[in-house]
Amino acid sequence: MARTGPFEIHYREYENWFEKNIFAYRSELSAIESFVPADKRGIEIGIGSGRFAAPMCIETGIDPSFRMLETAKIRGLEVIAAVAESLPFIDSCFDFALMVTTICFLDDTETALKEAYRILKPSGSLIIGFVDKNSPLGRLYQQHKKESVFYSVATFYSVEEVVSMLEKSGFQDFNFAQTIFRDLTEISDIEPVKAGYGEGSFVVVEAR
Amino acid sequence: MKRDLMDILACPVCKGSLELEVTEENENEIIAGALKCAKCSEIYPINDSIPNLLPPELRDKA
Repeated sequence: MARTGPFEIHYREYENWFEKNIFAYRSELSAIESFVPADKRGIEIGIGSGRFAAPMCIETGIDPSFRMLETAKIRGLEVIAAVAESLPFIDSCFDFALMVTTICFLDDTETALKEAYRILKPSGSLIIGFVDKNSPLGRLYQQHKKESVFYSVATFYSVEEVVSMLEKSGFQDFNFAQTIFRDLTEISDIEPVKAGYGEGSFVVVEAR
Repeated sequence: MKRDLMDILACPVCKGSLELEVTEENENEIIAGALKCAKCSEIYPINDSIPNLLPPELRDKA
């Protein structure tokens, strides 16, 4: 069963996170943006309320939560109710696909990654942004998992685990970027984006 | 949903092609209707301009 419950009930809390953590959000955006190709057809899988798709001009997205989709639609996005494990698209129709803080909420991550591979063109890329399980923020979220309406239903992964699942799904080439080097409460400006992983709590993997 | 989305949509279950049936449409998009899979015959609703392409077992719980 798709983990939509918290997103239907606590949509306001979801939106508040972005307001409260504006610099962390903008740092994440800039780490992702470095991998998003311009003027290409893209899709966001787990579009939520469109916080990432809208500023990056990704026109289309799917999500199983209607409450989230209604907000994304107000942001001018083309939205479809669907799950990542059963994508409603023909083969090889997108140049890129984006998943931001989505893999931790999937029921069947490997099936979802295989589906992403299927809908991408042969030259296409999958861009995944997530909180590294082995980073300071990843450890903090896991410690306080039960206290968060969202993370109590999440499964966190390390970068190595994500890459291993991507390889099993057909992806072969990987590039990494990272950001969020301080505690969320200490961030008062946009954080830098560095190549690689292992230092920043938010990691972006580009897979081909 | 906009009409040109039909170019890339497929049945989420069997990936068969979908046939569009429109019951309400404005100058921009389709507001209500249905998408029928030509292969497995499953019917997916479009309400409030949002196509519901959740697999049937998830759709019925929603």
